[in-house]
Amino acid sequence: MDIKDYIAPFAVWKRAFEKPFTVKKPIDERPGAPGYRGFHMNDADKCVGCGTCEAICMNKAIDLVPVDGRDAKEGDSGLRPRMDYGRCCWCALCVDICPSGSLSMSNEYVWVDSDPEAFRYTPGVEAKPWDGSELGYRRAEGYRLLDGERVKMPELDHGEAVRSFLELVKGYSREQAMKEADRCVSCGVCIASCPAHMDIPAYIKAVRDGDMEGGLRILYETNPFPEACGRVCTHLCESACSIGTGGDPVAIRWLKRYIADQVELSDYAKALPRKEAPTGKKVAVIGAGPGGLSAAYYLALLGHDVTVYEKDGEAGGMLRYGIPDYRLPYPALDKDIGYIEGLGVQIERGKAVGADLSLASLRSSHDAVYLSTGLPTAYALEVPGDKHPRVLDGVAVLAAATRGEKLGLGKRVAVIGGGNVAMDAARTALRHGSEVDILYRRREEDMPADAEEIREAKAEGARLVEKAIPIEVKDSGGDGALFVWNEARMVLKEEGKRPVPEAIPGAVHEDRYDSIISAIGQGPDLSFVTETDGIPMKRFKPVIAADGRTDAGDVFAGGDLTNERKDAISAIADGHRAALGIDRMLSGKEL
Amino acid sequence: MEMTRFEEILDFAIGRELAAVDFYTELLAIASFAAQKSVLTDFRAMEEGHATMLTNMKSRHTVFLSDTPAVDLGLARRLAAEEKPAAGMDFQDILVAAIGKEDRAGSLYAELASSSSDAEIKSAFGSLAAEETRHKRYFEELYETEVARDN
Repeated sequence: MDIKDYIAPFAVWKRAFEKPFTVKKPIDERPGAPGYRGFHMNDADKCVGCGTCEAICMNKAIDLVPVDGRDAKEGDSGLRPRMDYGRCCWCALCVDICPSGSLSMSNEYVWVDSDPEAFRYTPGVEAKPWDGSELGYRRAEGYRLLDGERVKMPELDHGEAVRSFLELVKGYSREQAMKEADRCVSCGVCIASCPAHMDIPAYIKAVRDGDMEGGLRILYETNPFPEACGRVCTHLCESACSIGTGGDPVAIRWLKRYIADQVELSDYAKALPRKEAPTGKKVAVIGAGPGGLSAAYYLALLGHDVTVYEKDGEAGGMLRYGIPDYRLPYPALDKDIGYIEGLGVQIERGKAVGADLSLASLRSSHDAVYLSTGLPTAYALEVPGDKHPRVLDGVAVLAAATRGEKLGLGKRVAVIGGGNVAMDAARTALRHGSEVDILYRRREEDMPADAEEIREAKAEGARLVEKAIPIEVKDSGGDGALFVWNEARMVLKEEGKRPVPEAIPGAVHEDRYDSIISAIGQGPDLSFVTETDGIPMKRFKPVIAADGRTDAGDVFAGGDLTNERKDAISAIADGHRAALGIDRMLSGKEL
Repeated sequence: MEMTRFEEILDFAIGRELAAVDFYTELLAIASFAAQKSVLTDFRAMEEGHATMLTNMKSRHTVFLSDTPAVDLGLARRLAAEEKPAAGMDFQDILVAAIGKEDRAGSLYAELASSSSDAEIKSAFGSLAAEETRHKRYFEELYETEVARDN
């Protein structure tokens, strides 16, 4: 070694008495460039806590953390990104990828603190001096790492559609499905919004991977109606989709349909789990709608002997008798039902509990009973003249169409109501050559029907008359009937409540129609449940626990009969939940 | 207000509530299934509660009711007025009957209030009329949320 190698370390002592460069530098006023990538800012109200920033960060500098006062809700995980500046490399990929566009960066880069923990913080939640800074890095206008545009679903044009009962939506091709699946960032915010809590990111990944059988297996974990739900689900998941915060939400429903369409029924058994060994327990399900059959599927899978009692000639409930086949073709529904029956579930078609057999007899011959009878009773218009022979019940019209009966609606048809039954009845009438007016008491934005159903009904030629209060039905002296209605204005009578339609004095109309289809709402038929059955009721609904169990112990209930959403996916979720509850009861493993 | 007159008013109102209790009791007698019986029992209990409330007011010699009427959703005016109790009545039939009942009671009190020249009597009937609007509003809301969901 050279002598200099021994002396050189001591040369550093000459620096010991100088003012340190690194301390002096930050206190000089030296602002970052206008577009500099400084400390992060987050609009916590715009952010949905999807965690896409966390996923893309190559340094693991971002964690999604719970924050006080911000609870999870539909479309928002309630979590917010926390930055760790010990790891951040200021690349701004998190800003570029952020679906909602809530993340940005200030141009501030000076932050002195003796506590190293301070450099992990949650922007937008913990106040910082640079919050609200106009300067700093922003994603350029129109620039997105994510594709905000959904792959368009091929559909019949409306002019063609209304002349037939052909399925309106044609379905994605492989390329289209892969491209659409690629838009999903697997954030999972959608899962909580799905009543059945389907593992949406996992089945979309299966589409990306081309693993259809794996995808089908994931679907059936929570939903044995993928063909039906892939077509007519109310897709609450899409309203929650984080990609939808800055573009079109991922077409989750269509991707579900894509998976189910790709696997032949004969291959289902290969992909799906086998039944457990027989338990020797017998369960009766009343109602072969989506809720009843969902319960039946999961009970059968658990090894129970299940018989479903259905009053109608075919299984499917409102999916068959309430939804026209241009939206849900019967072969697709039959495929879902076929697999459930193939698993050993017996469906006794044309057997009405109450008329053909009693609830008491079912309870005595089975270890548990699940009530899933839905809402089969159409409520009346409840105006003078509503028993006129040309006033028809919307559910009955749809059921008659399903059975292939001649509807004889005539040329001019009024549909009263703004729900999905009203829209389906209107679209069915259009396909039978009628001119259709839809009269609704409130405004279009208040209509409970799916927005796309309303849009399509209008596109197919239905005329929507908003703010029309039914007053009376009168005989027209001919074949039809006169519908008397009053124009309304919407009045906000109480803060925090929705406006109320109020009749405008003198603005009364009288229109002649060949048929007036009433679709204002449906109720349950619980005439088969007597007091001696010991099932507590409240407001015409069985009172149930979280797992669907009633106080009667061996009787469970769910679906439209008890839940508030009154859609197929909620009924399916109820059926699954009740199946697990029944299984716990039968196996003595109650919580 | 003279005590005898005050008691007469309260007795009249209590009588109407008890008549409503009888109405639901009659319906209960023809009800054929559990869901009907449950709703009718609930509604009857509400009317019994109203009768008890008025009885308490009578014993305290004061009407402590708000005279602010509830918002009128306007259903009573347009629902078919006839009440047709039948063994097969559904939730809609029962609610329509309940709305009609409350509406008629409210109208009667309002008429009595307007035809009275005694300020205190007018006020007592006015408060009873307002109370009936709150009862009616309860049933109207149930009708809107449970029956006419799609209208």
